[in-house]
Amino acid sequence: MRPIRKTFRYAAIAMLAVAASSVSAEEPTRGGTLIWSMGGTPRHLNPAVQSGIWTGQPGAQLFATPLRFDENWNPHPYLAREWDISDDGLTVTLKLVEGATFHDGHPITSSDVAFSIMTVKANHPFKTMMAPVESVETPDDLTAVIKLSKPHPALLLAMSSQLLSIIPEHIYGDGQDPKSHPRNSEDVVGSGPFKFVEFKRDQHIILERNENFFIEGRPYVDRIIMRIIKDPSSRTIAVEKGETLLATFEANPRELARMKENDQLVVTDQGYAAIGPLVWLAFNHQREPTSDPAVRRAIAYAVDRNFIINALLLGAPTEARTGFHPGSIFYEPDVEPYDLDIDKANQLLDEAGYERGADGMRFPLTVDFGSAFTRPHAEYLKPQLKKIGIDMTVRASPDFPSWAKRVSNHEFDLTWDVVFNWGDPVIGVHRTYLSTNIKKGVIWSNTQGYANPKVDEMLDLGGRELDAEKRRAIYSDVQKLLADELPVYWVHTLPYHTVYSKRIGNPPKTIWGTSSPLDEIYVRPE
Amino acid sequence: MSVLTLLVRRGGNGLALLLAVLVLNFTLIHNAPGDVADTIAGDMGGADAEVMAQIRRDYGLDRPFHEQLLAYVGKLARGDLGYSFFFNQPVTELLLERLPATLLLVLSAQVLAIMLGTVLGVIAARHPNGLLSHGVTIFALLGFSAPVFWTGIMLIILFCSIFPVFPVAGMIDVTVEGGWFVKTLDVLYHLFLPMVTLASIFLALYSRLARASMLDVLGTDYVRTAQAKGLSEFQVVYKHALRNALGPVVTLAGLQFSGIVSGAVLVETVFSWPGLGTLAFQSITARDAPMVLGILFFSSLVVIVANLVTDLVYSLIDPRIRIGHRG
Amino acid sequence: MATDSAAVLDGDRLEVAKARHPLAEAAGMFFRNHTAVAGLVTLAIIVVGSLVGPYVYTVDPYEMVWAPFSEPGADGFVFGTDYLGRDLFAGVVNGGRVTLAVGLSAALLSVFIGVSIGALSGYYRGWVEEALMRITEFFQVLPTLLFSMVLVALFGASLAMVTFAIGIVSWTAVARVTRSEFLRLREMEYVTSSRSSGARDLGLMLIVILPNALPPIVVQAALMVGSAILFEAGLSFLGLSDPNVVSWGQIIGSNRPYILDAGWTVALPGFFIFVTVLAISLVGDGLNDALNPKLRER
Repeated sequence: MRPIRKTFRYAAIAMLAVAASSVSAEEPTRGGTLIWSMGGTPRHLNPAVQSGIWTGQPGAQLFATPLRFDENWNPHPYLAREWDISDDGLTVTLKLVEGATFHDGHPITSSDVAFSIMTVKANHPFKTMMAPVESVETPDDLTAVIKLSKPHPALLLAMSSQLLSIIPEHIYGDGQDPKSHPRNSEDVVGSGPFKFVEFKRDQHIILERNENFFIEGRPYVDRIIMRIIKDPSSRTIAVEKGETLLATFEANPRELARMKENDQLVVTDQGYAAIGPLVWLAFNHQREPTSDPAVRRAIAYAVDRNFIINALLLGAPTEARTGFHPGSIFYEPDVEPYDLDIDKANQLLDEAGYERGADGMRFPLTVDFGSAFTRPHAEYLKPQLKKIGIDMTVRASPDFPSWAKRVSNHEFDLTWDVVFNWGDPVIGVHRTYLSTNIKKGVIWSNTQGYANPKVDEMLDLGGRELDAEKRRAIYSDVQKLLADELPVYWVHTLPYHTVYSKRIGNPPKTIWGTSSPLDEIYVRPE
Repeated sequence: MSVLTLLVRRGGNGLALLLAVLVLNFTLIHNAPGDVADTIAGDMGGADAEVMAQIRRDYGLDRPFHEQLLAYVGKLARGDLGYSFFFNQPVTELLLERLPATLLLVLSAQVLAIMLGTVLGVIAARHPNGLLSHGVTIFALLGFSAPVFWTGIMLIILFCSIFPVFPVAGMIDVTVEGGWFVKTLDVLYHLFLPMVTLASIFLALYSRLARASMLDVLGTDYVRTAQAKGLSEFQVVYKHALRNALGPVVTLAGLQFSGIVSGAVLVETVFSWPGLGTLAFQSITARDAPMVLGILFFSSLVVIVANLVTDLVYSLIDPRIRIGHRG
Repeated sequence: MATDSAAVLDGDRLEVAKARHPLAEAAGMFFRNHTAVAGLVTLAIIVVGSLVGPYVYTVDPYEMVWAPFSEPGADGFVFGTDYLGRDLFAGVVNGGRVTLAVGLSAALLSVFIGVSIGALSGYYRGWVEEALMRITEFFQVLPTLLFSMVLVALFGASLAMVTFAIGIVSWTAVARVTRSEFLRLREMEYVTSSRSSGARDLGLMLIVILPNALPPIVVQAALMVGSAILFEAGLSFLGLSDPNVVSWGQIIGSNRPYILDAGWTVALPGFFIFVTVLAISLVGDGLNDALNPKLRER
């Protein structure tokens, strides 16, 4: 990883590098239809005002972004042919590619970029992404100058994938609220490799090749059909039968195991490092007895991460010891792992003075779960924590809002949670631990109520450090400190996998996986 | 009572009921834990407090309850079911988009159940105490007694996994190319399993009804006379007995039709059928109040209209029965 | 129907009993109905099994005893294990009690509401009847499953809430039956004579009319237990069940994601629901034939 404080001028060289790294020996097949199954329906298709994986995937095909990233976290030119960060880190200049147009033929100008950045700043749910942006100047049609209030290393990732879609000002600048703009789901116009054809909610999204895509000769496939199939077993059968060629964000361990046995399919967990989905057990720090670190550590020692990963989830996920995704360049594996140790757990509780009662129980606790994926995790705690004298009650929430209400109002003891890193730590990691982000009613804020001024200070430093090595050192220290205090017990990654037919060439491998433009993917003829 | 006054009276009554249903459900949803802002934040992988407050402001969720209720009822009076918060689309549009799928499923299942049920009932009535009759009774009860989602799952395991002959999910295969004929065939192919599953619940009802009506008529004098006159069994059975059974069948069908959305929720969920049932479930769990209310409004409306139509049809079939005088 | 000698004997005995008590006559009719008796025997086995089973087969249904998804019969587990490696047979044995209890209490609740509203509206005329009929219509118009889903989503998926949500949407049929019986019976001579001899309304309703109105209500109630069990299973399937209490529906709900690979985890508890409801339906039919000879098959 090179330091990014220095000025960079990527141009054609970088462009070639992308091409060289991804082109296999074989000549890509032109044409054909990529049929792709997805497990959820997007609210709409405009990622500038709607985050989330179901919008992000079609969104990245429809809308181009200034930058794109490869599989090693390196930025590459996309709609911006070069970019430049000033030495003080307060000015970022983008030079756009020449001759790029939206799907309706309008040229893309720096004014569209400025409009998009301001729209994202005002409407995107991740406020931290664009918060330091003060203004965007447009000295000429192809130059956009972003003025920042403080150095903001997260900006590069925040200009890729689905996080900064360049949306046409001539459509979304008509005065209507961009969040409920009718063109978010009908006749969507972007500048990505694919054009909008049809969106039938809960049924399918159809996209077709953009012949005027600003990268010559791309994309390779003529059409993308995204079939929305909510039932995981049905998606498995569809891909097994060859009815679909690509399945993304597959996390059901049984289905994954079944698909791995099929020699016509490739199953990989590559492509989810940037989204960085983690599963952890959160503790309420504002309540007895989970406010006691001894109790938190005891529970962590009693929960068998190995059993959860290998028995419960058939080895599908990867161990995650901290709040950073193991695929992140900042992940620090050298922390206390809290491997299973029932004796130690009991000893910790004994020493902390939690006596066992006549029934062998020390105290009761409740556990919530917000996603059906973690229902087994919650049910598992009941027999498992009985071993250390904790009487668990599983509190089922009938649906997501009920759970979110409880947890975001700090009305819980323990809860299983699935939280995403979303690229840069500033976007998806800081929010869990900053004491300034204890915000009642906001899910995935610091709902644990964890507060440590030292952690706050270190995270602030990490968020503004432009030197990659120094930044990595800061985050390494934070992870060690957090692993000791254990605001939450990190267990494993959410085992998102991409499954594709062997007919697929140039499968998505980058850190953003299928949430980045699939202009290089191709389908070999049967 | 004339048909017109009846219509007016029943119509007024129906409107009052609809309003009551809406107010009750509006109150319930309003008091449910969490709101659509939580869902939207959840869908997006989190959202800043400011964004959530803005969503609530945009949808008027921050206003006092009575204001929200009045605004909703006011809009409704102008025929506007509102705008779905979660789907970003007018509720009416979404309802109409999903309605055909549900109608297709429910109607085809009803027709199948009525036809098959009648045949079974007639067979059973020919020999009321025979082995066949008991067999038919039990067979019809099977579908009625099994949880409908379980029947669906068993059929999926059987016909999609063990003998993979039917598609597992959805209503259409978007990759199928061809004219309307091929596309219709494709829909029918997808329809088969959900239709059979849903029909299995109603089969018992219709076969019993047919059997009972047949038994009634076969014992009457005029059938005996008809038989004595040398009319063939076919004529006797189908001309007299079936007509006799028609009234109750219409009533029952009307009654079943009332449960259209509720009944379809489970089957639609099992087969990922893109109808109102799946939309309803999704909207409830998303706290999308206008959408939930829209669906409840719609299904209550169907009940009221179905009752009225049943009465009218009934009076046409059997003029002895005057509308508005049934229990 | 009685062609074999045993049944004929039964019938003969009943000819004698008939003179003594109408209930005995009904019982006789019921027990001559082979399918009804088969239903009753099956139901008895299920009920006794559910009550006694947990004391005989003492494996904790929550204990993770083995590797997940061990197939039925393999590794010594009759019904195999579920996704957590819990003994499915233990789940089925323990789940019956809860399933039956939910079915029974939801049915009792709806019978209680239905009989109260039906009786009052059938007995009194005028505004009471009018108001109660409006309430009944209101609940008829509500889409049952959707409304109970809203209720459970609002108050949480506790067992009590699920039971309440089922009971509150299923009473209208009972109310209609009760009302029409009361309408019929209130004009009967023995009722009018009791009334003229100064009996109170409540006494009249409970002591004079209700016992005579019971037969169709009992049949409805029996069938209601079955449909309440199906209802609970349906809600569980949609994920609206209490994970702290094992019921057949709850087992289905929590194993639902694995149907294609571990079909038995859904098939087996579903089969028990199916058999139980079938048995209840057969018993209900038998009761119907025995108690309402005139309404036979209607």
